[in-house]
Amino acid sequence: MITLQNIEKVYRTSSIETLALNNININIRKGEFVSIMGPSGCGKSTLLNIMGLLDEPSKGNVAIDGQLVKSYRDKELAALRNQKIGLIFQSFHLINDLSVLDNVEIPLLYRSRNGGSASGKSRLDHAKEALEKVGLSNRTKHFPRQLSGGQKQRVAIARAIVGNPEIILADEPTGNLDSVMGNEIMSILQGLNNDGATIIMVTHDESMAKKTDRLIRLFDGTQVGDSVLRAGGAGPGDNPGHFTHNPTSQLLNP
Amino acid sequence: MLPHLFKLMWNKKRTHMLLIVEILASFLVLFGVTSLIIFNLRNYQEPIGFDYQNVWTLNFNARDQPDSTVGDVMQRVKERILTYPQVESATLFGSNAPYSMNMSNGNVSHGNASILSNHYRSDLDMTKTLNVPVLEGRWFNKSDESADVRTMVINTPLKEALFGDESPLGKQITFGGPGDKHKKEDYFTVIGVIGNFKTQGEYMTNAPGLFQLNKGEARAYNRTVLLKVKPGTDASFEARLTKDLGMLTKDWTLEVSYMENQRQSTHNITLVPVTIFLIISGFLLINVALGLFGVLNVSITKRRSEIGLRRALGATGNGISKQFVGEIWVLATFGLLIGLLFAVQFPLMNVFDLESGVYVTAIVVSIVVIYLIVTLCALFPSRQAAEVQPAIALHEE
Repeated sequence: MITLQNIEKVYRTSSIETLALNNININIRKGEFVSIMGPSGCGKSTLLNIMGLLDEPSKGNVAIDGQLVKSYRDKELAALRNQKIGLIFQSFHLINDLSVLDNVEIPLLYRSRNGGSASGKSRLDHAKEALEKVGLSNRTKHFPRQLSGGQKQRVAIARAIVGNPEIILADEPTGNLDSVMGNEIMSILQGLNNDGATIIMVTHDESMAKKTDRLIRLFDGTQVGDSVLRAGGAGPGDNPGHFTHNPTSQLLNP
Repeated sequence: MLPHLFKLMWNKKRTHMLLIVEILASFLVLFGVTSLIIFNLRNYQEPIGFDYQNVWTLNFNARDQPDSTVGDVMQRVKERILTYPQVESATLFGSNAPYSMNMSNGNVSHGNASILSNHYRSDLDMTKTLNVPVLEGRWFNKSDESADVRTMVINTPLKEALFGDESPLGKQITFGGPGDKHKKEDYFTVIGVIGNFKTQGEYMTNAPGLFQLNKGEARAYNRTVLLKVKPGTDASFEARLTKDLGMLTKDWTLEVSYMENQRQSTHNITLVPVTIFLIISGFLLINVALGLFGVLNVSITKRRSEIGLRRALGATGNGISKQFVGEIWVLATFGLLIGLLFAVQFPLMNVFDLESGVYVTAIVVSIVVIYLIVTLCALFPSRQAAEVQPAIALHEE
């Protein structure tokens, strides 16, 4: 589904070069629920951005469904993001001047531009359906400022799934929520995964990570672990290039 | 996408209220200035209907001279002028000669049709001196000088207003409205039709007008002589002429003007206010443009996170750029819709008695100009928005 080969990401300013990711090789199969963990600044979000085609690696290749995206133009990348990928963020990223329903509808607006055929009514029907899935069908006309954190994140999830993407990338989706709300969100994500969605989630929370199929650990931009937590997760042998499943040895021999 | 932008901008209407008011004010000022320009341009396209080159205007002030003698003196003046080889032709005219500041008008009617018309008095040589073509019928001749002959020549706008497509020749018109009581001698027979006769120059409305031949006591009203001189006639002739005429018109005063100069002065009376309004309107539009530019720049800085989000959800860089241009169009549309409510009242209520086409054209031009300005102002900031890197913008909140 998503293949990362020898990914390296360097941030450059006029005086400093920062290696954010170094030689990352990951293969994520369809239907997996993968969590990515690591300390702050280890490159988790950078990795997620590269997987979500929001950022380009300095070196290495990204393939979605076996297709290398390196040569893709802005329009093709946008279409791929719109149709294949749903994104969930820690800070929700809802547009405060739009109602819940209008927020959820946004990906479909760009879908019709990208060659789809969603009419206004069909867009609204899809958005209502997505809100129903996250249990917010009674909040369609509310504005984000009228919602709790958990509700906001559920709206963000509805927005991520409204276009039926095959991949959902979640950047610390429970990071701003208390444990009850966090568990609620986690249940929704697990439900989506059970329905067939491939989910990749960045988290700091070990207990949340344990609910996923597979756990990838990063440290200082390097992949230091890849563990299968339950049946269905990809084994280390599935990785396309060099990888390690022994965090300790990787730390000692980076 | 458009309904989405309308919804977004409507929900932000309070934030953008000042901008909407500014666009509304610009539209109204632009509408006013454009109406004025279009009105004048339309008039300019209509020929004035006479020649002004090498025509001099001699205005005589008879002071306390009795009217009974003025007519005879003016006739002698004309005869004397015609003796000069430099003069091709001369005509006596009333006080509202071309490019003078005087007007004389009143209602004229035919049957039930009635209209306000300019009223000119001249003599047999007017068409020759000012090179005015007679389109139908004839100009006055000796047969019209008899006291009991009551004839008139009208211009094309008056013909169209009173007679439509019918020929006016031989038909009768009278001063006053259709309901007024008239005696038999109040009626004049139309003997000819000339084209336009715009005495205030190119920017004047092509207004209805009629000509009466000055005869009998009424000759005293013609105290202006228009003379057509040969090309190259210089100031020395003017000096000689005024000295000579001064002897004929003792105690009178004489003022000589060149019609070309008079035309320029008349133009200035129209063009100066238009230019002033244009400058004011230009400053206002520049102000609006700068305001829009600033607001958009600030808006893009404030909304980097939203831009990042939209990119993440599938918007292309161009799509973001178009969105910002679209938003400013939506804002402009709000302002213009309010402005249109006011502007459409002008043609509907026939304000200033202008053709509704002038207002409609002004509305269309003003709308196009406003959209053009807001688009130009939005282009650079929207390009900046398109260049926002989604991965960075999403983490700036």
